[in-house]
Amino acid sequence: MRTSPALLTAAALLAAATACSSSDSSSSSGTSAFDPKTCQGGTLYVLNQSDATAHHLDPARIYTSGGGAVTSLIFRTLTTRHRVPGEAGDEVVPDLATDTGKASDGAKTWTYHLKDGLKFDDGTPITSKDIKWGVERAFAPELPGGIPYLRDWLAGGADYKGPYKGKELDSIQTPDDKTIVFKLRKPEGDFPYVATATQFAPVPKAKDDGTGYEKHPVSSGPYKVASHEQDKSLVLVRNPYWSRSVDDQRLACPDRLEGTYGLNSAVINQRLSSSAGKDANAITTDTDLSPAELARISTDPSLKKRAVKGEFGETDYIAFNTKVKPFDDIRVREAVAYAVSRQSVVNAVGGSSLAKAATTFLPDQAAFGYQPYDYFPAGPNGNAAKAKELLAQAGHPNGLTITLAHRNADYNHDGPAVATALQAALKQAGITVNLKPYDDAGYGDTVQKPSTEPGMFLATWGADWPTGGPFLAPIFDGRQILEDGGNFNASQLNDPKINAEFDAINQITDPVQARPRWGALDAEIGKQALTVPLIHPIYIRLTGKNLKNAYLDQWRGSYDPAMVSVK
Amino acid sequence: MTRYLLRRFASTVVLLLVMVALIYVIFYALPSNPAVLVCGKGCGGGQLAAIDHKLGLDQPEYLQFWHFLEGIFVGRDYSSGPDVSHCAAPCLGFSFQNDQPVLSLIGQRLPVSLSLTTGAMVVWLLVGVSAGVLSALRAGRLTDRVVTAASVLAYGAPIFVSGMLLLMLFCGYLHWLDFPVYVPLTENPAAWAKNLLLPWFTLAIAQAAVYTRLTRTGMLETLSEDHIRTFRAYGVRERRIVGRHAMRGTLTPIITLSAYDFGYILVGAMLTETLFGLPGLGQLIVQSSNNVDLPVVAGLTLVAGAAIVVANTAADLLYAVVDRRVVLS
Amino acid sequence: MTAELITEVGVSTEAPTRGRQVRRRLLADRMAMAGLVVAGVMIVAALAAPLLIHLEGQDPTTYHPELLDSARGGVPRGAFGGAGGAHWLGVEPTTGRDLFARALGGARISFLVAFGTLIVQILLGVSVGLAAGLGGKVADAFLGRLIDLAISFPQLIFAIALLAIVPGTFPRPILLMIVIGLFGWGGVARLIRGQVLSLRTRDYVAAARLSGAGRVRIALREILPGVSAPLVTYAALLLPSNMISEAGLSFLGVGVRPPDSSWGQMLSTATTWFQADPTYVLVPGLLLLLNVLAFTLLADGVRTALDPKAPSLRGGRK
Repeated sequence: MRTSPALLTAAALLAAATACSSSDSSSSSGTSAFDPKTCQGGTLYVLNQSDATAHHLDPARIYTSGGGAVTSLIFRTLTTRHRVPGEAGDEVVPDLATDTGKASDGAKTWTYHLKDGLKFDDGTPITSKDIKWGVERAFAPELPGGIPYLRDWLAGGADYKGPYKGKELDSIQTPDDKTIVFKLRKPEGDFPYVATATQFAPVPKAKDDGTGYEKHPVSSGPYKVASHEQDKSLVLVRNPYWSRSVDDQRLACPDRLEGTYGLNSAVINQRLSSSAGKDANAITTDTDLSPAELARISTDPSLKKRAVKGEFGETDYIAFNTKVKPFDDIRVREAVAYAVSRQSVVNAVGGSSLAKAATTFLPDQAAFGYQPYDYFPAGPNGNAAKAKELLAQAGHPNGLTITLAHRNADYNHDGPAVATALQAALKQAGITVNLKPYDDAGYGDTVQKPSTEPGMFLATWGADWPTGGPFLAPIFDGRQILEDGGNFNASQLNDPKINAEFDAINQITDPVQARPRWGALDAEIGKQALTVPLIHPIYIRLTGKNLKNAYLDQWRGSYDPAMVSVK
Repeated sequence: MTRYLLRRFASTVVLLLVMVALIYVIFYALPSNPAVLVCGKGCGGGQLAAIDHKLGLDQPEYLQFWHFLEGIFVGRDYSSGPDVSHCAAPCLGFSFQNDQPVLSLIGQRLPVSLSLTTGAMVVWLLVGVSAGVLSALRAGRLTDRVVTAASVLAYGAPIFVSGMLLLMLFCGYLHWLDFPVYVPLTENPAAWAKNLLLPWFTLAIAQAAVYTRLTRTGMLETLSEDHIRTFRAYGVRERRIVGRHAMRGTLTPIITLSAYDFGYILVGAMLTETLFGLPGLGQLIVQSSNNVDLPVVAGLTLVAGAAIVVANTAADLLYAVVDRRVVLS
Repeated sequence: MTAELITEVGVSTEAPTRGRQVRRRLLADRMAMAGLVVAGVMIVAALAAPLLIHLEGQDPTTYHPELLDSARGGVPRGAFGGAGGAHWLGVEPTTGRDLFARALGGARISFLVAFGTLIVQILLGVSVGLAAGLGGKVADAFLGRLIDLAISFPQLIFAIALLAIVPGTFPRPILLMIVIGLFGWGGVARLIRGQVLSLRTRDYVAAARLSGAGRVRIALREILPGVSAPLVTYAALLLPSNMISEAGLSFLGVGVRPPDSSWGQMLSTATTWFQADPTYVLVPGLLLLLNVLAFTLLADGVRTALDPKAPSLRGGRK
């Protein structure tokens, strides 16, 4: 999941900004073509809003897709994302391990062997015990955060409290220093994708002091930490014990990386567009172009060249709670689906260059098993007549008044901009929408707990990895309804037939075979109008003018600092 | 005098305690749970409870407040996994968000806010006083009218409007300046000043207008006083009269007064820092209130409140020293 | 938020002058009259907003996707943000809503909140100030601290927190009046207390006390008329300050909620657009500036008219 800065002001203030346009129109200096063999050297600068490591530089506490951008330069994992542009970037490949994992026992047991010659940044060899320790400590209550899958998937994970009190997790076995075996509670064909997460990075027990570890994390990747001030700055230098001979997934061209965090989005885009001094060697791993900036660069050809486009599997949608009236009635949900104006929503988040209309819950990419459908065709501007007809059938011939909950800021596409666009569209169909905003902390707390969940709210869902499973299961698998919070199954759908299909697909270990099944499942669930998919966002980001091989990878929709060059 | 200071100190401590207690009351009334923000996506009941425990949110509210006070006076202990870490007094606690000690968070941000506010203060005193003197010496003429009109305009402009307009003019159209980026003074003094130019003027502009008016009035009053007339009669040159004698009479109350403006600076800095994205204390306040980061908000309020009270006390004392007629009570 | 500014502007302690004389002075003050005209036009426009919007043939909430260039970030098509015969001030980027209608809506909110807040501030400030000035030593010590507290509070933090806890169903403009008023009465109270302390020793008040009048009676009959002149001046100065506070809170995202519009809120979304669509920034920015200016000039005129010797924002007349 992308991390977004939880700033009240994010939408409001930042802003000021797009401000200073670059008067500089000189063409980019890098004329020679990119060659991986000679790309080494120089310093790469990263300009970000939030710390590239979220709030903690601890592999147990980081929650990021595919190992992350900057974090995956420090923490190598059992498997990793395939670092190439385009659709092949959705594949999972081995990293520390020799393959992406051998499944047995119907995808309930996964076995990995480590490559030869792997070393930490102090020269000590990396063993399978270090990986086991890394996974185990992610269960410690002192180190909250991280991915939710470990607790759910690993046998005995639900009650495990971490290794610090001397207790091991028996479902992880290390028969020798090169082998590690994971025993799962249920079949999970997607395990190789989860093994890309930083929780699967090795942590030497001897150097681990719990919450203090983030101050001196031990590196297994091409760079090690020279200095880190949380939410402010990070400096990485080369790890002498790493070389391309033990890692075929990272080019690691720059000699040094300097990150600056806590900048606002407008400042970042301003600095990248003027690309002056050090900023010519800069990228961002968390900041997209805003609509206003897009409007401006569309008239500047030299800037347009440096604006890179990419996609990330994400759907922004209206979620219904079918336990709350009147949304228990499918006709009311269908009426809303017919009434929405996707054109207005697309414009609200920045127009057709930054988003495309969505009618399916799955993102429109092959890796997710995308299968097109549009059961409640609303057209670009909504079908008010059809919506009114359905409302009349449902017993609301004189219209309906409902409440739409949303976040109070727009950065996540679930804020007032989208909410008011929907309000205006639904008014055409005789539906009066009252808006109910929540701040960041309150929103998650309220909508992720079935007892407090509103009847209708704005939600977004991004892929933890590019397959249909993590996209559909948390939202529609009935056994993932969590009463105590952290619930994403907003509709509270609990259909035995659908649950059984989830289990069946999870046993497939070949992602290509699983794709059509996920697509068909999405198309089946879509008929119930449990959500109204609105848009799939498109990512556009700027680079400094010296950057080479800067592409937005398909897995995360972000630049990969392991692959870029500033030389 | 000593008794006055002691009483003032005691009432200040009470005042600050009331402020922090109020912050606790407001935050407990908030419908949001900071543990959810710490926990992230897909965080279930058991994990939430663990985080609540780690942050101390599972204790009764009054106990949490008590621990906060305890931390300030005697320090407190925190669990950090394998062992326990001690936070020595005065301990303002640790941020919910990133576990950093609140004091060091404040320390990190202080240079930015100090750079902004002291620079702005210099700007508004320089601009305000010189415009005021100019205006007084040319009273009734065109210069006076232009200065007066400009100061009325500046006085009426909210910080986020004047900041925007400055930004639009100087980096949007004229391209004289880049968008401000904070560079530490120790790293590159020239870049530090150049980048802070816009924020300084944004924060200073409304205050400069007030000082222009005060200086003008004070100057005109002083110039019409008897002893100045006597100097004139004795043939002392006008420049000497203005520079030596009139300025002294005008400036003393103005400098004293600027100490009272601390509260204004604080709020102004909050808006200016957010507008320009400067990583100072003002931005930290806005961020942490939105993240329900209670320890940071409480710590900042305490520090900010203390600073305001100290500045006001200093201003009172200065005033008493300058103007013998004022009796402190 | 700029209440602190006001404390710098001296307020006279002179006894009130005759009404006719004051009016004559005010009418002769060209700047104040300019302020009055602008403020008057704005208030009339705000009151007649539904009529004016009807005249234009638009409304503040309808989306017009057809007027936007979707591929270019949703910027309005045409020069000056799409301004013309149909949309007098153009349309908003990314929504296509009519700017004229939204700006007028902003004017209504601005005046409503500014005046409503003023009432809260005067009620609270006058009662606390009178009580502190007349209530004896203990009351004065306690209320004096309370006034200090109200003045030296980091108001914005509290305003943000308070605005966040109140349920969304509570009418937002009224909430804004209460919150801004709650933190803005300290100045009024301090002024009243100071006035009372100095008036208390005057002969006519002493005479009333000797004749056996009660404290409340003295407060209402003898003291209040004596403080009305500085109070009017102070109140006039609070108005533009309240406008700025409302705009500031809306700018920070905790003020008026969509689909209602406020100048501060418009500015906060407009700021990114000032290169691609300058009209969108200039409309709310200049309206806010013009209004604050008009009310400030008017207030300054009132002060000078009430007390010609008081230092004026415009330098006073020598």
